[in-house]
Amino acid sequence: MNKNKEKLLNSRYRTEKRFQFYGKSAIFLALLFLTIFIFKIFSTGYTAFQKTWLIVPVTFDAETMYLDENPSKEDLEDADYFDLALQTMFDLDKSASEKQQNDLKKMVSYFFEREIKRELLNDPSLIGKTKDVYLTASDDLDQVFKGNYPRDLPEDQRRVTDYQLKIFDQLVEQGRVESKFNLSFFTYPDSREAELAGIASSFMGSIFSILVCLVIAFPVAVLAAIYLEEFAPKNRFTDFIEVNINNLAAVPSIVFGLLGLGILLAVFQLPRSTPLVGGITLSLMTLPTIIIACRASLKAVPPSIREAALAMGASRMQTTMHHTVPLSMPGTLSGTIIGLAQALGETAPLILIGMVAFVNTIPGSPLDPAASLPVQIYIWAESAERGFVEKVSACIMVLLGFLILMNLFAQIIRHKFEKKWS
Amino acid sequence: MKRNGVKMIKINSKNVDVFYGKKQALFNINLDIEENQVTALIGPSGCGKSTFLRCLNRMNDVIDICKVQGQIIINNFDINDKSCDVVRLREKIGMVFQKPNPFPKTIYENVSYGPTIHGMAQSKSEMDEIVETSLKKAALWEEIKDRLHEPGTGLSGGQQQRLCIARAISVKPEVILMDEPCSALDPIATAQIEELIDELKKDHTIIIVTHSMAQAARVSQNTGFFHLGELIEHGSTDKIFKNPENKRTQDYITGRFG
Repeated sequence: MNKNKEKLLNSRYRTEKRFQFYGKSAIFLALLFLTIFIFKIFSTGYTAFQKTWLIVPVTFDAETMYLDENPSKEDLEDADYFDLALQTMFDLDKSASEKQQNDLKKMVSYFFEREIKRELLNDPSLIGKTKDVYLTASDDLDQVFKGNYPRDLPEDQRRVTDYQLKIFDQLVEQGRVESKFNLSFFTYPDSREAELAGIASSFMGSIFSILVCLVIAFPVAVLAAIYLEEFAPKNRFTDFIEVNINNLAAVPSIVFGLLGLGILLAVFQLPRSTPLVGGITLSLMTLPTIIIACRASLKAVPPSIREAALAMGASRMQTTMHHTVPLSMPGTLSGTIIGLAQALGETAPLILIGMVAFVNTIPGSPLDPAASLPVQIYIWAESAERGFVEKVSACIMVLLGFLILMNLFAQIIRHKFEKKWS
Repeated sequence: MKRNGVKMIKINSKNVDVFYGKKQALFNINLDIEENQVTALIGPSGCGKSTFLRCLNRMNDVIDICKVQGQIIINNFDINDKSCDVVRLREKIGMVFQKPNPFPKTIYENVSYGPTIHGMAQSKSEMDEIVETSLKKAALWEEIKDRLHEPGTGLSGGQQQRLCIARAISVKPEVILMDEPCSALDPIATAQIEELIDELKKDHTIIIVTHSMAQAARVSQNTGFFHLGELIEHGSTDKIFKNPENKRTQDYITGRFG
């Protein structure tokens, strides 16, 4: 008898140990995947925060720019920098053939003449003088310099020619290649040229979309939740509504995109590709999430608080507004932020309402066309150029950082404002 | 209280039936409550004494499936009548619950809440006075006068219950309903509350539901005994405890069941 008992006891302990082992393995596996994921993103993406510059001597020759003597500010604005820019690059190798000259031109960014122009506008006294100017290297050389580009491929399989590499190596030797923090990644809109592409337009697009989403979804959801939880009679009809709200939370997001396309764009003729439409579509998706969070936190307010207020002669409205709703706010707010974080990472519905369009301007309002961060990732991931690979990871990092901040904020709100009741 | 030898009746209930859905919880209750006296409602768990108490300020309205029939007349007015305003009613009839349930706000805000929503104070100083008097009446003032702006939920259980009593009397109700106010408290806190009840009956009519027969005997002048949803017997506490008419009452108070 005693022996049996001991056996049973030992087997109980073993079961618990086994269970703990399974649990720990599961956590370990999850952490492992997460680490690999983050490491991969970080290792591919971190180079995008650096940008390669070629430091090239520019001779601001008035004649090449077709400038008269003593040019005014307007003259400088209107001057022709194209020939000057070309000449600057051709000067790197005076003996270059026509084909090689073309290669030389392609070593710098597509719009490098603007960089020369900006230099002169900053300091008009440069006319007739020579100055080292920082020019954005082409995305291919940028990748070469960062070591992301295999140089040992045969020339016909590379986008950089042997000649370009030769000149580039000479420049590196002369200390004329420099890597600096890539500010333009944050301040430039999207571009077809990888070295000029930035997240400014998609970042602003995301911000505007989320704001529109918040402004629409939060009040509607909170009102709906308060009414359903505190005022609506409990009957079959309200049960039916509740079931449907829960179902709505599980509807695939692309369906909301179709709704946005069919109703907002087709029927109401709202402007395509704008954060306004994106935000409204996302708010439809976020509504059930916030309603559920708000109802759950209203339910969590102890009935004794409601009874106390009612027994003091407070009306139902006063009980709700003075006591129940303030007590439920921390939960509601953190639920809202989590809903918004979900919306922030949403791609499919935005693609359907046209926020996938190539936008090379920074939106100033929710009515301007824009992309959003996840859609930007999608667009760049589709691009063939090697320069976009690191941008995809960098953009993911920005998006993840944003999400982590939002979730952190939700946690802080929950901990700071949650009241304890006895 | 007797005036010219006549008992003054504050609440007069006639043929009160209560249903939870299809289940009947109270059967034909006829009970008169004397003014400025403490009336104790006793009986085993589930006998309907709390349900009856909650009929008196219509707190049963909150429960969707609950239906109350019959007349409850307070100040010559049937509170179950459609014309009765619940908000006004509950201003006149305060309630203290089983578990202390202060609002998760400051002590001051807890007491000032009732006067605020009923517009009883015109100025800050008037409000301060109401808060102070209420807390003094609830025998809590001396203990907490220096921390009026600390959360009410930070007080001990007994203090919280006295805070709830202060909150209830802040709107000067005519009747105070107490639903087992001491069941969550230790003997010392219980003694304080009982003392307080005795004090409060000068200004208020008090109805207390209690599980403790000793408490009923200590604090009340009248007692009603409920069993299985019926009012078995009611009368002066002395008589109920010393000389009950009904066999079941006798069995209950002598501890043979319940």
